[in-house]
This record gives sequence, C-alpha cells and structure tokens, in this order.
Amino acid sequence: MMLRVYADRMSQPSRAIVIFCKVNGIDFEEVRIDIVKRQHLSPEFKEINPMGQVPAIVDGRFKLFESHAILSYLSCAFPGVPDHWYPADLFTRAKIQSILDWHHSNLRRGASTFVLNRALGPGLGLPLNPQAANEAEKILRASLSKIESLWLKGNAKFLSGNFQPSIADLSLVCEIMQLEVVDEKDRDRILGPHPRILQWIENVKSATSPHFEEVHGFLYKVKARLHSRLANTKRNDTQLSMKPNPKL
Amino acid sequence: MTLKVYGHRLSQPSRAIIIFCKANGIDFEEVTIDFTTGKHRLPDFKEINPMAEVPGIVHGDLKLFESHAILCYLASAFPGVPDHWYPADIVSRAKIQSILDWHHSNLRRGALNYCINSALGPVRSLPLNPQAAIEDEKILSASLSKLESVWLKGDAKFLLGNFQPSVADLSLACEIMQLEVVDKKDRERILGPHPKILEWIDNVKSATSPHFVEVHEHLQEVKARIALLKAA
Repeated sequence: MMLRVYADRMSQPSRAIVIFCKVNGIDFEEVRIDIVKRQHLSPEFKEINPMGQVPAIVDGRFKLFESHAILSYLSCAFPGVPDHWYPADLFTRAKIQSILDWHHSNLRRGASTFVLNRALGPGLGLPLNPQAANEAEKILRASLSKIESLWLKGNAKFLSGNFQPSIADLSLVCEIMQLEVVDEKDRDRILGPHPRILQWIENVKSATSPHFEEVHGFLYKVKARLHSRLANTKRNDTQLSMKPNPKL
Repeated sequence: MTLKVYGHRLSQPSRAIIIFCKANGIDFEEVTIDFTTGKHRLPDFKEINPMAEVPGIVHGDLKLFESHAILCYLASAFPGVPDHWYPADIVSRAKIQSILDWHHSNLRRGALNYCINSALGPVRSLPLNPQAAIEDEKILSASLSKLESVWLKGDAKFLLGNFQPSVADLSLACEIMQLEVVDKKDRERILGPHPKILEWIDNVKSATSPHFVEVHEHLQEVKARIALLKAA
C-alpha cells in the first residue's frame, strides 16, 4: 500500500513533508485536508490523527503525526534517501534533533502566531489581533537572530555549517516562507536585517528545486488573493472619502 | 569521554536527564546551574548552551542542548542502555518521537506556565499571574486528557501500551511532577480526573527507583521556599 500524506499546503509542516517526498522520489498519495473547511476536525480524519492536525501519514503498518517525527521516519524507512537529510552519525544527528526541538517553542511559535494575527486569522474564523502579533514578532525576530548567530555562522550554506540540507533546514525554511502572506513592509522589516537567512532560504530552494517552488505555489495564490482583497478595501475606502456629501 | 550534565533539579527536563543517567548507570558529573539567580546567562554557561537554558550536556567534543535530543543521544551513545528507552525499531521509535514533539506545545507549555504563574514565579523573580494561570490550566488539562485517551488506553502501563518506559515516559512524567509545587487543592483539581495518569507516574517511579524519587526531593525544598516567600 502506497504511503499516504494527509496535508494542507497552507500548513508549513505539511509542505516540508510533501517537498521531502518529492525530492527523494518517494511514491506517495497526497490527501488534501482543507483546514479552512475544518476537514481536520472530521471524525474520519481524527481516525488518522486524534489530535486533529495536519500533517499526518499512513504507511501500511501504521499512522503517524508530528512533522519532525514523520521526516525522521521517512528518512530511515526509505533506503534511497541520502544520509545528509538525517545522518546516521550520532553527533550530527543529535545536533539536527536539537534544532528541530528548539523550533517548536521559538521560530514556529513566533512565526505562525505572527502570521495568524497579522493576516491569516480571518480565513480561519479568527479575528486579527495586533497585540498578539506584536508579541509574536518579538519571539520571531529573536529566533531569526539566534538561527543566524548559532547555526549559520561564517559561510554556512545550511544549518550547522553542513554542505547539504537536513530535515531541519527544510522544516525551518518552510516555516519562514509563511511570511509571504503578510504585508511586504512587515516582511522586509522582519527579514531585512537577516541577509544570511535570505541566502539560506535560496540554498534550500535550489537544493530541492523544482519541488520547493511548486509546493509553495498554493501559498503564493493565497497571498495574491489576500493582497487583492486588501487593495479593494483601500480603494473602496478612498472612493467613499472622495464622494461628495449630498447633505452639504 | 566524560559526560557533564549542566542542569538544575527545579527544571523538569534537567531531572529527566539526571534520572535517565542514574537509572542506566551512566557515569556523569552533575553541574548545577542556578537559573533562579541568573547563572544561566553567564558567559561560561553560554559557551555550553548559547540559548542560555538548562539542561545542556558536554560529551567529548559534543555540546548539546534540548532535553529530547539529549535523551535520544544518550540512549544511542551508551551501549548499556536497554532498547526500550529508545527502540531501534523505526516504527516504535517514530511513535515515541511523535509524543516528544507533541509535548513542547502542549503538556510542557501548559504545565510549565501554569506552575510559574500560579506558584513558582517568586522563586524565579517573576510575578504571579492568576489570570494567565487560568488559560494555562486549560492547555494543561486538555493535554492530560489527550495523553490519557491517545497513549494510555486500556491497561497501558506506559505510553503507547509499552511494557517498559521510553524517554517519552520519563520526559512527560517529570513535567507533570512539577505540579508538586502548586497548592494541594489546585493539584487535586487538575490531576484528580485522571487516575490513569497518576498510576502511570507511579509506574515510571517504580521503573526508575530509587532515582526518580531522590531527584524529585528538591521540589519539596522549593515548596518550603514558596511558603516562606508567601508568609513574608
């Protein structure tokens, strides 16, 4: 039975897994679970992942959730996957594990909370919350600084100075890509001070080309839709304020 | 190759690593970093862990932080460690990894913040925040329910129905033990509805006896300090 990946391409960890499979030629069926339509909360999907979250996989023998556990499992289960993704060497592997663990409460928490409260909330029935966005931005910016100063020192092409990407590179870069949907000036303010991060993102894109861009296509569409909606709102506001007041 | 464990027994993940080493007869030097007085921010410790958090380890050339990465590394690096802690079988291992990953944003987040906001704050020079504690308790309680319903089904002795503990059992049990420092009525309100969790913690205690109890004794000292600060 073919590997099934339950994913929503709006979900950063879902994208990491889909890209990983495509890059490594792993045969899989992508099953779309639409978060906006609340499909992740359906009883059928909760059979797959009782936590009601994407991504999740079913691989013949078993069901698995949590993207880092999935990425490590796939690296080990499919013999064609090159060692650099999740090295057999204990020291190297432990360092990658350390980055993946750090990610949850730092970059992931900062980035996903910021994007939700700045842009994506309404699509999920949640209000935008500027206060929460400001708090999240602090965590996000601190996390980006830490990544650069700790894991992208000198001429490092990938995290920990590795010459080829690991699952940590893929997971963290997919997270940062979510910033595509926020206002350009916000994105520039946050990423502008980090040229090494921008370079690293390009390195990961190249190493997983063409799949990285293809899988992120959905995100770009959502971005376009959000921005055109915003532009229409601004245009309507301008027209309203320019209309002569009939009462005068 | 000597192993140094930089930690503090008030820190849940530090306790998990110390207990793991003792239970598996791993020779190590325990170096206490008092984060309640800012020692974790000193340059010497930042050399070990630039994130300035406990725990961290040094093993030969390797400096490592993040307790789950440390536990998995120790389980693999020391050949005497029994397989059940971090099985070689990739399916069993993946399921344990899944629990460890889930932990960060769920049980850890709820329990850590609840304990600080309802009791531990003053010990760490932080204010108590009863309002935030209410929100934290919701995350904590939801996590305890999920833990029981997903990983402690039926007669499960350990997570996933395993017959012996894994690093996930140790990490999560140490987290829940932090509730020892809060008011008894709060602890009973939160844990009371979860008899399976209480039994599971006892199983973890027995499996790592006498080290689990010994390493957790520090929490009793902390409790006494909290009472003193309250009275002052």
